[in-house]
Amino acid sequence: MTAPVRLSDFENAIADALPEGALLDELMAKGLPHRRVEAWKWTDLKTVLSRFPAEAGEVILHASREPDAVAKLEREPSMIMPRLAAALGGDCAVYELADGETLNLDFIGSATGHRIVSVTVPAGVEAVLHESYQGGKGSFANIAVNITVAEGAKLTRVIEQNAMPNSALVVTSGLSLGPEASVEQTTLGFGAKLARLETHVLHSGEGAKLSMNGAYVLGEGLHLDQTSNVRHAGPNGETDELFKGAVAKGGRGVFQGKIHVERAAQKTDAQMQHRGLLMDAGAEIDAKPELEIYADDVICAHGNAFGAIDEDALFYMRQRGLDEASARAMLTCSFLAEPIEKMNHEGLREALLERLTDRLETL
Amino acid sequence: MLEIKDLAARVETEEGDGRQILKGVTLTAPKGEVHAVMGPNGCGKSTLSYILSGRDGYEITGGGATLVGADLLDMDPEERAANGVFLSFQYPVEIPGVPTLTFVKEALNAQRRARGEDEVTAPVFMKQAREAAAKLGISNEMLKRPVNVGFSGGEKKRMEIFQALMLEPKLLILDETDSGLDIDALKVVAEGVNALRSPERSMLVITHYQRLLDYLKPDVVHVMADGKIQATGGPELAHELEREGYDKYVGAAA
Repeated sequence: MTAPVRLSDFENAIADALPEGALLDELMAKGLPHRRVEAWKWTDLKTVLSRFPAEAGEVILHASREPDAVAKLEREPSMIMPRLAAALGGDCAVYELADGETLNLDFIGSATGHRIVSVTVPAGVEAVLHESYQGGKGSFANIAVNITVAEGAKLTRVIEQNAMPNSALVVTSGLSLGPEASVEQTTLGFGAKLARLETHVLHSGEGAKLSMNGAYVLGEGLHLDQTSNVRHAGPNGETDELFKGAVAKGGRGVFQGKIHVERAAQKTDAQMQHRGLLMDAGAEIDAKPELEIYADDVICAHGNAFGAIDEDALFYMRQRGLDEASARAMLTCSFLAEPIEKMNHEGLREALLERLTDRLETL
Repeated sequence: MLEIKDLAARVETEEGDGRQILKGVTLTAPKGEVHAVMGPNGCGKSTLSYILSGRDGYEITGGGATLVGADLLDMDPEERAANGVFLSFQYPVEIPGVPTLTFVKEALNAQRRARGEDEVTAPVFMKQAREAAAKLGISNEMLKRPVNVGFSGGEKKRMEIFQALMLEPKLLILDETDSGLDIDALKVVAEGVNALRSPERSMLVITHYQRLLDYLKPDVVHVMADGKIQATGGPELAHELEREGYDKYVGAAA
């Protein structure tokens, strides 16, 4: 037995709000996740939040429509952050998407708040879920998003995480893909004092397709952790991941990607790529790609690489008359555009590319 | 015109020590003239093109270079470009994700802004681009592709000349433009360069071999060896080098 960790005022305030039970016991014993927990080794939530005000607030949700139901969660999540979101975020807002629908969910953190939502895409339905995340100064938003994509349904999910230099954000998403379901997820992230976008995907049925891509730009003092765990439980599934990020001096990017192929998931085709661009000395990117494969007839690959701006290309562009800042921005933008350009939805793709260009100009 | 006087430069190495590459180059290329700079490998002729265009990694230890009276060596590469310096690279760089036309238009307008001129409008730019591309047998489809990505050696060199036609420099430096070209590609590129001849433009053609000069017909030929111009003459000098090689000049420098 290890001794219980010392809780900060921030953690004690969360504990005070919790009812008696297993979750409270776990929080008292372990505290919030910190750097000595393997899955959080580059994202020290406990330490960062210990310097945040413990004041209770809420996560404001501006949704493009009313939820279809407000209900208690049927299934308890297993990890501590979504469990806290379920316990302290009030009842779960449940949305069932209609064919052709675009649901916008804008989350805004205010002081310390929790929220939980659930989105279902019924069989055969094609829909868009567009989330955006921002937070006020000193806010910590802990959000759980549960998504179920039923047989043959198609979901386009877009996540925009705005630059939040003075706030913290943890979003834990769970996606469950039915047979022949298809999900295209694209994230554009600009970081926070601490931000973690954690995504768990389960290919539960046969022949599901996941295209999960993201671009991130992190300026000074901004951190973004993109952690994902894709589990293939059904056969003939496909996963294609491409993440690219550019980090400036004093920024920190974290990529933890795992693909787990169960014995039953034969003929899985899974690819995961992460590419990082270190824009200056003093930029940091930490990455841990993992494959865990128990089926023998699969195609799986992962790649991970870091580099700096190509100095030869920079000189070439300046020789033609572009000033150094414009040439750097053009090279960085073309590097980061690739994951976004994979999007099929033209309107959303163009909007994200524009936001990316704007962000690089103001970095 | 281009005036280079007693230009001396060292290359900076990662260990911090340097090696003297240019040891006092003097050369004048009046506007309207094509000057060839020929020399053996390692004589410093490519270094000269990089120093004139402002690449990092060299330390000027003496002398200077001016273009139409403006001191080039104090300027950033983009300022030199706006002042009319164009270097056709020996190895043009690939820039994934940036379409060629977008790149050239951005570059042209950046130069025009730097000179205090109005930006070129899209229809005018497109008309110029179509005309320049037609001269070089460049298709519309190629212009839409990312800069130099997936192009053959000959296509890359044609694209360099296309950019020169669009940017209309006062000084065109061709660095080993003939390297990696077969005879057909060489002819197309040479025709493009000849189309760039103008009473208002100086050209510096840097080459190891005579064969490009058969098509370009230089007014003046300079022989460079051991970081200096060892001889200057007419086109016949290039033919002499082709027959006799560089031994005489390398020996003279030693």
